[in-house]
Amino acid sequence: MKIITLTLKKKSQIALEFDELIPDKVFNWEKADFENYQVPVGNRRFPLTDYFDIEVEGDAASPEEVKMILDGDFGRVKYIGCKMSAGEIIVNGDADLHCGAEMKGGKITVHGDAESYAGREMKGGELEIMGSTREFCGCSYIGDWRGMSGGKITLHGNAGKQLGECLSGGEIFVKGDCDILAGIHMNKGFIQIDGDVTRWPGGQMKNGNILIKGKLGILLEGFVYDSIVVDPEIDGKSFSGKYIKYNGDIAVNGKGSLYLNAEKNREYL
Amino acid sequence: MAYEPPVTDYDEIVENGTCAFCGCNCDDLDFLIKDGHVVGVRHACRLGASKVMEDMDQRLLVPMVRDENGELQEVDWDTALDKAAELIAGSVRPIFYGWSETSIETMKHGIHLGELVGAVLDNQATICHGPSLQAVQNVGYPVATLGEVKNRADMIVYTGSNPMNSHPRHMARYSTFPRGWFRQRGRFDRTVVTMDPKYSDTAKMSDIWIGFEQNGDYGFYNAIRAALRGKEIDQDFVSGIPKEDIMELAEAMKNVQFGALYFGLGLTHTLSKQRNIDMAIEMLTDLNKYTKWVLTPMRGHFNVNGFNIFMALEMGFPYGVDFARGYPRYMNGETNTIDLLTRKECDVFMVIAADPGAHYPGGAVKHLAEIPVIQVDIHWGPSTEIADVVLPGSFIGLECAGTSYRMDGVPIYMKKAIDKPETCRDDEWIIQELHERVKKIKAKEAAVASK
Amino acid sequence: MEYILKNGIVYDPANKIAGEKKDVMFKDGKIVEQVSSDAKILDVTDKIVMPAGVDPHAHVAGPKLVVGRIYRPEDSRKGVTSKTDVCRSESGFSIPSCPATGYRYSRMGYGTVTEAAMPPLEAKHTHEEITAIPNIDITPLPLFGNNWFVLQWAKEGKIDEIAAFVASWLRIVKGYGIKIVNPCGTEAWGWGGNVHGIDDPVPFFDVTAREVIRALAQANEMLGLPHSIHIHPNDLGHPGNYPTTVNSLDCVKDIAKNGSKRNQTIHLTHAQFHSYAGTSWRDVESGAKEVADYINNNKHVTCDIGQVTLDETTTMTADGPMEFDLHELNGLKWANKDIELETGSGIVPFIYSGKAPVPSFQWGVGLELFLRIKDPWQVCLTTDHPNAGPFIRYPRIISWLMSNERRQEMMDNGEVRVWSYKRTGLGTLDREYDFNEIATITRASAAKIYGYQDRGELTPGYNADIAVYDLNPNDIDPSKEPAAIEHAFGNAMYTIKDGQILVKDGEVVKVVPSHTLWTDVKGFEEQEKTVMEEVMPTFTRFYTVKFENYQVQDHFTPNPTVTEVKASK
Repeated sequence: MKIITLTLKKKSQIALEFDELIPDKVFNWEKADFENYQVPVGNRRFPLTDYFDIEVEGDAASPEEVKMILDGDFGRVKYIGCKMSAGEIIVNGDADLHCGAEMKGGKITVHGDAESYAGREMKGGELEIMGSTREFCGCSYIGDWRGMSGGKITLHGNAGKQLGECLSGGEIFVKGDCDILAGIHMNKGFIQIDGDVTRWPGGQMKNGNILIKGKLGILLEGFVYDSIVVDPEIDGKSFSGKYIKYNGDIAVNGKGSLYLNAEKNREYL
Repeated sequence: MAYEPPVTDYDEIVENGTCAFCGCNCDDLDFLIKDGHVVGVRHACRLGASKVMEDMDQRLLVPMVRDENGELQEVDWDTALDKAAELIAGSVRPIFYGWSETSIETMKHGIHLGELVGAVLDNQATICHGPSLQAVQNVGYPVATLGEVKNRADMIVYTGSNPMNSHPRHMARYSTFPRGWFRQRGRFDRTVVTMDPKYSDTAKMSDIWIGFEQNGDYGFYNAIRAALRGKEIDQDFVSGIPKEDIMELAEAMKNVQFGALYFGLGLTHTLSKQRNIDMAIEMLTDLNKYTKWVLTPMRGHFNVNGFNIFMALEMGFPYGVDFARGYPRYMNGETNTIDLLTRKECDVFMVIAADPGAHYPGGAVKHLAEIPVIQVDIHWGPSTEIADVVLPGSFIGLECAGTSYRMDGVPIYMKKAIDKPETCRDDEWIIQELHERVKKIKAKEAAVASK
Repeated sequence: MEYILKNGIVYDPANKIAGEKKDVMFKDGKIVEQVSSDAKILDVTDKIVMPAGVDPHAHVAGPKLVVGRIYRPEDSRKGVTSKTDVCRSESGFSIPSCPATGYRYSRMGYGTVTEAAMPPLEAKHTHEEITAIPNIDITPLPLFGNNWFVLQWAKEGKIDEIAAFVASWLRIVKGYGIKIVNPCGTEAWGWGGNVHGIDDPVPFFDVTAREVIRALAQANEMLGLPHSIHIHPNDLGHPGNYPTTVNSLDCVKDIAKNGSKRNQTIHLTHAQFHSYAGTSWRDVESGAKEVADYINNNKHVTCDIGQVTLDETTTMTADGPMEFDLHELNGLKWANKDIELETGSGIVPFIYSGKAPVPSFQWGVGLELFLRIKDPWQVCLTTDHPNAGPFIRYPRIISWLMSNERRQEMMDNGEVRVWSYKRTGLGTLDREYDFNEIATITRASAAKIYGYQDRGELTPGYNADIAVYDLNPNDIDPSKEPAAIEHAFGNAMYTIKDGQILVKDGEVVKVVPSHTLWTDVKGFEEQEKTVMEEVMPTFTRFYTVKFENYQVQDHFTPNPTVTEVKASK
């Protein structure tokens, strides 16, 4: 096991880009390699040592054996774990845009908030965020109708707008509240929101499942009441309690399902 | 409005000039010229005419550089250009913003400069129809030229747009009033619908006004689509509109021969932003199963569409293109001007033919006040107040010819009618000159580095 | 500057040179018979030498392309490369940016490409893109098949007026020849409709495709344009459409040719999409045999194929109704762009997967046509870029055409589904193209079809547009080595354009501006003047731009190559 620890010593106002510092690429790097590395910042590259104290312990024969610990406020470090396929990254602080974007495997834990695009186009692996995210968590690249297709995102805080946009597989769990248009254009996969939702979950969804345990503000006209279900089983997961099941979004001939906690949403009964 | 007698005292008329105001690019203007100045404009709307007539109002005439006391001082062209080039060459996260009120010819030099230094190139779409472009990227872009609408349309819908005030000749020359090939009686052959929370001037002269509630756009269009699919609407009111009205409107839209929908910033900038357009485009696609419908965004600046077209043909992306890593990158929220400014990432800002000082949100302007700003423009404006280098350009379509793209993508070569003030330079020349000077600095740096 | 390409093995079908070891010499941008002793020697011993490639039909520049690029950032992202000392950044896979388009054609040894659909109203846009594409010359074909003036005159049989109009418009918009797309169908799409077959009249104008095709063909031959009419017939992509195709070709059979170089009076484009039998996608069968038989028996016809390459691509055509049908079929984002008084267009992304029956069938039909059409001078290699696949796949198609073994392998191992041979005749065809036939369908035939008198052959006096491929034809069995064939044709050892080395060993080493090819008709001025008097009142009333601002000013074609035609009437 190789443990790579980067401890922030100077925060850059212009974001650093970490797409080259993923386990797949650095598993065989020695401390000196990191010290010689120049990290992209704007249109330049500057020494990584300008920004971090670097510790490297142990050895790794493959990316699986790498654990990267990022200590400090990484709120200006973009593309953490982008495209990684194995290993582990722990961020002890906030993470900037595209954390875990296009990741294929391994695990990322953020002990803080993550900016927009966390888990964009994720194909596998696990992304756990102890805080909240902003917009487009677990989304597609703009223009693509194929979004996150595998893996799991767990969000302990709140989700911003358009969570799981174009979701094409995988699972997203939100422990907190969620803003508008969760699961917009989704065509497969599962989204569970434990808290409250402002409005319009599942807009233009073609397929997949959304389950809301909290209270919903406004439901779209594109959803058609199906039935009341008790203790439903969805995608192999069991839930206790009474849920109102809708099908939609019929605006796009959607075959998706939206489950709404019946107790918290009595006005929809 | 007081009666103004027609202008009769002029030396010559330049016909078929193009208006450099809104996205209509009306190309039928007659400029009445006396002593090298425009003394009258025929055919233009008040917005267009006043821009042409008041071309010398608060005109920037000489290059200026801000001194250590914070005052703009007049300097010669070399000094100003060198100062600007030095700032650009030394920047780490430069943005070149604007471009929508200059020519494609100018942009050609701009992109080379951007590629050279690794800048972000962005235009006004980032604060206006950017959401429309995002929606287009998600669900499609069924458009038609304005003449298709003039010749065929029997229903015109304006949503989140008030052309009577923003694009005064849109209805008069292209959509509602003109007599078309298949609409020989003009206005009488068409039904005009305005969808807008506000009872705007356009709504006042429409046949139908749908005053849905603010932020209700997405829910409203979703309900129309559900109705088009044959669903009986559940809720009595959707977004404040009675369900009967929604059902009736859906039916009417299905039964026209040719419908056209024009949308503006009222749709792009409410709660669900790009998704309003997204839903409207899909509604329109649905309608094409029954009859013909097209849409077009009501682009604001005369060449805002041109920049999007130009960037896409050069680099594959329409706006917010980031060359920092040596290749083009387009990522909404990351490579756009407002995000880079509010995150205080940008360190040198060049504005070409735009006025961020007047248009940007407070946080973004605040950062602009803290970093070097280079302005290429023809008028003194709020942006001049925060500029460190001011480079006075020329008036495209009047003092300088250039290519622009109308809101529907029709290219027009805007011809020159009068000479520019002697001390000004063409935008094209200014940007080319900056490119040359930055190239020299970069070459020198490379030579030093290789030693 | 003088050069000798030494000891190459030359394929120059126009001069009936098929694999001869000989030197090719050029000086000051032109092929010459002799050079002085100062000539620079490029040793290409035992390498294949051909004229630079000529693509007779692709969509590379213009409004549709840019709509595609604007609305498919996910495609643009796929082809992104970093800038180099020579090249700017590239982007795009199926719809590359303009610079990328030039570099990529150049790397394949191409020198000339036709932009197959230029809407006259937005011709300035097409020319702006042509100017932004380096290294290849571009021939834009303006669209006439749904033009309201043409529809009216065709109805009234006024051929002189149409000829005069075409002559004027080619000059006004700087175009090379007459393109016809879904005649009458695209106009019907103005009302959300379409026409079916060549005898189905379009609403209001009440004229049929047959009348429009014939009228434009007669006008074309009246003027003696270098190229014939270039037609995308009705019913594209519909099962059972081959009779429409054959009827479209047959309806001009009696019209006499009037062009010095070409043999044909009609060029059928992307024949693959027009060669289906059956009645629906359920019972669809190949109609390639019937179409190929017609072409084999009729010398007034040439075609290009539009071969499906099994990629995710972007379809774009002036056939607006077809694109909406396609969107209905695959549900992917639909763009449309109708142009007042002239034409329309549509765009839809499409995934031609070998795992799906229909794309496999289309793949089979395209190859079947290539193998059934006997005379390589009647057929050209295209993918109708980007419709059936991106042009960067030409080398792969060459490898398929040269290897029956590879084709059988694809059908056997499931790279394509059973419809590729069960619904087509491909499984029974073992013909393999040789290098000379490849040289014909990728350069010589296209150049002849377009009546080019300065390219497509290594004739002294012609442009020194030459491609060298790193293959020894005496040493390779293309049947057994398709990967090597694909690699070599995709990475030219040299691409020489107007005597300048642009590509060396598959890398672009030099970037030059492209030329725009257009046709200037002389001797028809009186008729043109009369017809413009008739056109102008209508133009002024129904267009939304002024005529002065409609015209393409000279500076939009900074490097024109003008073909002057002396109208013979």
